[in-house]
Formats: sequence, structure tokens, C-alpha cells
Amino acid sequence: MSDKELLRIENLEIRYETDDGVVKALNDVSLYVNEGETLGLVGETGAGKTTLAKGILRLIQTPPGHIVGGKVFYDGKDVLSMTEQEMHQIRGNAISMVFQDPMTSLNPVMTVGEQIEEVIAVHNPDIGKEEIRARAIAMLGRVGISADRIDEYPHQFSGGMKQRVIIAIALACNPKLLLADEPTTALDVTIQAQVLEMIRKLKNEMNTAMILISHDLGVVAQTCDRVAIIYAGRIVETGNLYDIFKNPQHPYTVGLLDSIPSLTKETKRLNPIKGLMPDPTNLPSGCPFAPRCNYASSECSAAVPELEESGSGHFVRCIRKEGR
Amino acid sequence: MKKAAAEKNRQRSLWMEAWRRLRKNKLAMTGLGFILLLVVLALFTIAVDIITHNSFYDNHVIKQNLRLRLQGPSKEHIFGLDEFGRDIFLRVIWAIRYSLFMGTVAIGISVVIGSILGAIAGFYGKIVDNVIMRIMDIFLAIPSMLLALAIVAAFGTSLTNLLLAIAISYVPTFARTVRASVLTVKDQEYIEAARALGASDVRIIGKYIIPNCLAPLIVQASLGVAGAILSIAGLSFLGLGIQPPTPEWGSMLSNARSYIRDGWHITVIPGLMIMLTILSLNVLGDGLRDALDPRLKN
Amino acid sequence: MAKEELLRVENLKKYFATNSGMLHAVDDVSFTLAKGETLGVVGESGCGKSTLGRTILRLHEPTEGRIFFHGEDITTVDKKRMKELRRNMQIIFQDPFASLNPRMTVAQTIEESLLIQGLFSRRDKDGLRKRVHELMDLVGLSERLVNSYPHELDGGRRQRIGIARVLALNPEFIVCDEPVSALDVSIQAQILNLMQDLQDSFGFSYLFITHDLSVVKHLSDEIMVMYLGKMVEKCSTADLFRNPIHPYTQALLSAIPVPDPDFHAERIILEGEISSPIDPPEGCRFAARCRFATERCRKGDIPLHEAEPGHFVACVLDQNKNPGGIK
Repeated sequence: MSDKELLRIENLEIRYETDDGVVKALNDVSLYVNEGETLGLVGETGAGKTTLAKGILRLIQTPPGHIVGGKVFYDGKDVLSMTEQEMHQIRGNAISMVFQDPMTSLNPVMTVGEQIEEVIAVHNPDIGKEEIRARAIAMLGRVGISADRIDEYPHQFSGGMKQRVIIAIALACNPKLLLADEPTTALDVTIQAQVLEMIRKLKNEMNTAMILISHDLGVVAQTCDRVAIIYAGRIVETGNLYDIFKNPQHPYTVGLLDSIPSLTKETKRLNPIKGLMPDPTNLPSGCPFAPRCNYASSECSAAVPELEESGSGHFVRCIRKEGR
Repeated sequence: MKKAAAEKNRQRSLWMEAWRRLRKNKLAMTGLGFILLLVVLALFTIAVDIITHNSFYDNHVIKQNLRLRLQGPSKEHIFGLDEFGRDIFLRVIWAIRYSLFMGTVAIGISVVIGSILGAIAGFYGKIVDNVIMRIMDIFLAIPSMLLALAIVAAFGTSLTNLLLAIAISYVPTFARTVRASVLTVKDQEYIEAARALGASDVRIIGKYIIPNCLAPLIVQASLGVAGAILSIAGLSFLGLGIQPPTPEWGSMLSNARSYIRDGWHITVIPGLMIMLTILSLNVLGDGLRDALDPRLKN
Repeated sequence: MAKEELLRVENLKKYFATNSGMLHAVDDVSFTLAKGETLGVVGESGCGKSTLGRTILRLHEPTEGRIFFHGEDITTVDKKRMKELRRNMQIIFQDPFASLNPRMTVAQTIEESLLIQGLFSRRDKDGLRKRVHELMDLVGLSERLVNSYPHELDGGRRQRIGIARVLALNPEFIVCDEPVSALDVSIQAQILNLMQDLQDSFGFSYLFITHDLSVVKHLSDEIMVMYLGKMVEKCSTADLFRNPIHPYTQALLSAIPVPDPDFHAERIILEGEISSPIDPPEGCRFAARCRFATERCRKGDIPLHEAEPGHFVACVLDQNKNPGGIK
């Protein structure tokens, strides 16, 4: 890991225009990821996690989606103003993505070998067939699948094995950044442990940075270096692992941590966040969390609070100061 | 209850949602508009026949006037006159009932029979399924037009036989559609939930399975009506359907055939009517398919 | 403890005939459940935990074994008696999107329970409405949603409908089949609290099926761990987390990602994946992935034995070599 910045997102805003109104999926999101670092992006359904990942790669379907503002810099280059040609070099080559569902992310009529070879061939037009195949076999080996399974079809693999294949495809071109969207959510715990272990190992070997999108705070705590908490399309708190888990400041982060039944402590009753996620077409004015917050005052709904630094590298979007 | 219903945009059933989506589909709405226009015209002609005790029908729709035969469109006769000097406009709108209503009734019969057979086959599975579906396969192996031809030829040309012939030839299509959707719906958790509550088979089929299988059936039925209208027109064209002088688009087309060089309008008008009706039903059917498909929701 | 026994399951088996052989979904499972208690059933996908829950309710007919409810063997009762029994034995499903009829409103769904079991007559409109509102209130659904359709509601609210539907019958025993795993954490906590509250006020007994060990630890008095249709360990919740004995339980516990950056479990990464439940080989079903497996493990029946008082394990290993446990 180094301190060299790899990805920077500035004030990104993404909207979806639907029949029921304009969905403000992402609002003023700013983030950065350093080389070789793992950033955990935590949020609940509809918080905008997947939109952010797709936005980085400009995979938002238009219509209904529109990137209406902000900038994304990869290695200092502005991604949003690139031509499709340049974008092609970024996708899969410099930044690649792993989706949640291993069952539908692979093409059922191609062998896993062909699918890995395809990515390698697309991004390395000058290397020969044998070389491509050799690289594919090596890649399979790295994700823990033996070479003799290279000519099998996806349906011959179990869920965990498919996710390994998907990761092999994503890492085949040695990307600098991996966007992993809930990569282990569909897997069983013991298989999840295997896959996470493998991702960790490969990341270190290849010095790949990663944005791990997850709703599972446990997975994030065991995998990431830094964490950003996203709520209703806004980053509400970001900091390193200890800032978030040991010294959470935003009431939403606190509420999330309190919602999980503890394995190590005895709790008779959980202390959940009240209410529901706001309707994304009709966000409350001011702090989006205010209607569910125990500390909310009239000031909270007056204006969206700024993301303020509460400790070195620890930013919180909340006007409440006591307890910090 | 009233207060709750007043809530904005709340409480919309899936049917209402589908209607809202369909309304946005201009092509489908045009199709629907044309079909509704035909329905209104047909009802109007029926009303006229009842009020005038068929005298208007006898004097204007089927009465021949050979002096004016094959006259082109004019102010008095906007679609012109046919080979026997009858007003084509009147004949065309008097013929709607045979195409549209008979098509609908025929499809209605086959929907009912087909759905029951398909639902039983899908719900009970195993041997019942096999027996029903293999019989359906036998029917499907015979081209539907040929089957209808055979039935009409064997039992004679009458309205009832024509109706039955078409109805029977469409039963397998609906049985298959319903069976397929019953098979998908049957494995849903809400069926299991109803079972866990102790609901009877009849209740499960009636309240849970059928309402959730209707969407593909509606689509299939609207396309089926188009097919049935074509079959009626086709059989009449061959002389096995509605008999002259009763106006019917297919037989009008068939009779006009020999005069195609003497007046374009007498073939074009009934042909156009058939085409527009089928086209409307098909775009409506496609629109319904899009509107009812839950995958396109939101 | 002399708590009143509500449910006793004896040597329950459920096999499914498939094209490639007999699928042993539930294989020889026995347990008892006392009134007002919660038994957690944990295991990974394909271990037969959902089939177990459904077989106990006779949504699947058991292949072998007996189920006693209040001492009555329900595997032999006729349809009519079974329908009566269903008033007392209910199930909450995992997927709140699939377990509600999309064509029925909230009120209709809840009424359905009352009508099917004949607790209300259809003509008693006022009585029905009052009861529906009462139930909605109990599960925390606001009254204005009575005429909403499931597709208009979020997962948490849908799950509340699923609970209200069951609550309508006031059953004694409820199978909870992963009732919170499709929900977001903050909503999950709300539903778990609701289920606890209802248990406290109505004295329900739960068979709580889940793959989430932290949820099961929070709710259960006892836990049963399943692997490929077999029960491999069963004991009180505290014992299971303090002293897991079966190597599979140990691996399972160590694999849970704990939301605490300081917590570093000695992670036991299991080799390979769950094997096929179709015509499984004899011996311990976990042997293929077990670190300690010996020849003995692959031969004959591995019986359940009481390793400590009230702590049952199906493993032939020396129990003193035990590295596990979450402290």
C-alpha cells in the first residue's frame, strides 16, 4: 500500500428519471482510493452503492440514469470526459468489476476458459493464442481452480467456484482497481470465508486497490482499510477502520452497528434504527437521516450538513458535536 | 376505507399499474381505439336491426341494385357500391359482428376450456398432466385451419359449427399457456403459505393461482381473437363460413375477387378492414404483453 | 428443567426421488421443543434446514419418523384434523417478496387466515376489519396501508404482513424460515425485536431456521447445527458458542465475519465445498472436508452422543482436542 492516490471522485451526482419522479441516487459524493488500498462502501438497499460503482465505470444505463455533475479521476485522468475508445481501455483493464450474483454473471454457453481468454485477448491484441491460454490457466490457478477444469461450462461449477471464476476474469488483466459489488453475499459463510481469504491474498500479491461494496459490516471489518458509510445517496461518515468501528460519530453508523446482534456480547434486545429509508424520489430537506434520528432538531432539516473532519481523516456529516 | 383510498398514488393493484403502463403505449392505444370504434359500430348496427325489425338491413344491406353495380366511392356511398350495387360501407360495418363478436366468442369458449384443462394439468401434474397434454399435442399436430375445415365439412356450414370449429382449434394454445404459468406460480412461496394456513385446493386454484396466471392468458387471448377473425374470414372466403348474401369480410373479399379489374374498392375495402382489425389486435396484444410483464415494472 | 413439551420429532427423514438418485434432505433428525422456547437451526444452503421446517408442518410428507405435537402423532392424522392443527402450527417465510400473493391487498392477506380457519365469517365485515386493524397494529403496520398491495411496500413491511397473517391464528408453534435474511440490517433488527416481543406476549415457540449465526445466537435457547441433512451438534446457545465440539461447527463459527477490527478469530478455512446430498456415502457426511477425519469417520453410522450434559454431538473424535469457541 502506498499513499499514491489512484481514484478520486468529486461531488458526483447521479439521477434516474423514472415514471414516479426523479430518483436522486447519488448526491455530492466525494471519495478517494489509494493504490493497493481497500475501501469498504457500506450502505443498505437503495443507498446508491451499486450506482456509485457503475458510475465510476460509466455503466449507468441512459436513460433512465444520468450523471448530472461531479468528476471522476482515475490516475489523474478525468474518466467522465473520456471517449468511448479511451473508456474501453479503462474498463476491464485498469478497473474491473465483480458483481453480486455469481449465477448470472457468467455466460452459460461459453466455457470458463473461453471467458477468461476473451478478456485477455481483448486487452492484449498482440499476444498469441497459446500465450493467452497459458495466462488463463495461470489465472485459474491463482483463484484456486485446477487447470483441468478450464474447458468446463459455468453450470458445472458451484456458486463459490463461479465467484472464483468471475474474480479470475476481473483480475485477468491485472487491473489497478477492483470494484467488488457484494462479492460474497450470495455465498454461504464457510465459502464466503474461502473467497474473502482468496481476494485478500490476490490483492496483496497484485497490489490491486479495491472498493468493496457491502451491507455486511462484519465482512468490511475483516477486509478493509478504510470505510465510507453511505445513506440515501450521501456519504455520511468516512474514516479508517478504527474510526468507524471503534469511534463511530454519525447516528446512522452508530445505529447500524447497534442493529447487529453481537456474537461476543450478551444482548437481550437490539436497538434498531427506527423508521424506513426515505423515498429516493422525495428525499427530506436537510439531513436525509433526520426523520429517523434520535438527536434530530429543526436545524437538521434546514440544510444538508457538510462533511466535517472530526479527527485526522475521519469525516462526519452531522451537526451534532457533543460526544465527539 | 375512503380516507385510505384518497392517499396519493397508493393502493394501486397490479392491474391498475398495467393499465397505467398500457396507456403510455401510443400504438397499443390506437389499436384499442380502433377496436372500440368497431365495437360501437357493431352495437349500433345491431340496435338498428332490432329497432327496424331488419327492414333497414333488408332494404339497404342485402338488397341488390344491379343498375348501380361497381360504382366507385361517392358522397352518398363513401366506400362505393359492390358487384350487386350494395353499399360497401353499410355491408362492411354490418359485417363487424360476424368477425369481431364471433371471433371473441370462439376465443372465449376456447379460453375457458383451455384454461380449465391447462390448470388441471399444471396443478395436479404427473399422469393427469400427461394425458391432457398429449391429447392437446394431437390437436396441435393438425393445422388449425385444416381442423376447422374438417369440422365444418363434416357437420355442415352453420354459424354454430363455424364457432365450434374455431374454438376447438384454439383450445391447445390456451391449455399450454395456462399450464406453463400454473407451473411457475405453483412453486411460489405464497402458495405454500396458503397451504400452511390450511386452504383447500379449490381455494388455492381460484384465489391464488388463476389471478396470477391471467396476464399471459390475456395477451394470448387478444392475439387469439386476431387469429380467429382471420380463420372466420378464411373459411368464409372458401365458402365454408358465413353464406351470402349475409355480409362478411371474407366472403365479400372472395366474391369481389372476380371484379378486381372493374372496381378496386370492392376488394380493397373489406381487405383493408380485415388487415386493420388484425393489426389493431396484434399491437394491442403486444402492448398488453409489455404492460403486464412484471419484469418491466418500474 | 421440567418445561412443558410442545413438539417432539423422532427420527424424521425426508428423501426426495430425483433423476440421479435419492436426495437425503433430512436424515434421521430428532429433537424436542418446549413451550415458549426457541430452537435455532443453523446450517448452510442445502443442509436441509428449510425442508426440516416444512416437513414438521407436513407441507412435505415425511418419508419416515414421527412428529408429536402436544403428544399427538401428526404424521398419521387425516386432512381434516391437519387443517385444525394448522391453526396452532404456522410458518413465516424467508422471502417477503415471494410469500405474499401479489394480487391481494394487505387486508385481504390477513383476512385470508381468519377466513380459511373459520375464525370469522365472511359476513362479519366489522368484526373482520376490527381484527385486521388490531393485527396490523400489533406488528407495527400503519392503518393507512390496509388497501396497499405487496408490490407497493418495502421488504420490512411485507415481512410484517407475513407475521400478521400468522399471528391472526394465534398459533403455539411457528417455524421461522430465515425470516430476516432478505432484509437490511436496520430493518432486520426491527423485525427481530418484534418477534421477540410477540413471543413474550403470546408465549410462541419458535423453530428458528437461519444461516446467520449472530441472529440465531441472539434469539435461541438451544441451537441445532445441520450438515447435509444430518444433525451434527445440538446444545444450549451458550454452550455452542463457548465450546463447539463438532469440527464443522468450529469451522462455521470461525468463518463468521465479526464487525470488530480487533477481533481476529483463528480462522479455519474449510477445504472444498459441500458435497452432494444425493445418495451420500456412509459415515460422517463432513468427513470429506474435515481436518481430523480418520478411517473410522468413513465407516458405519456416526451416532449422536452426549459429550457434556445436554450437549449432543455426532463425531467420533476425542473431544478434548478442541480449539474452537468464540470468547
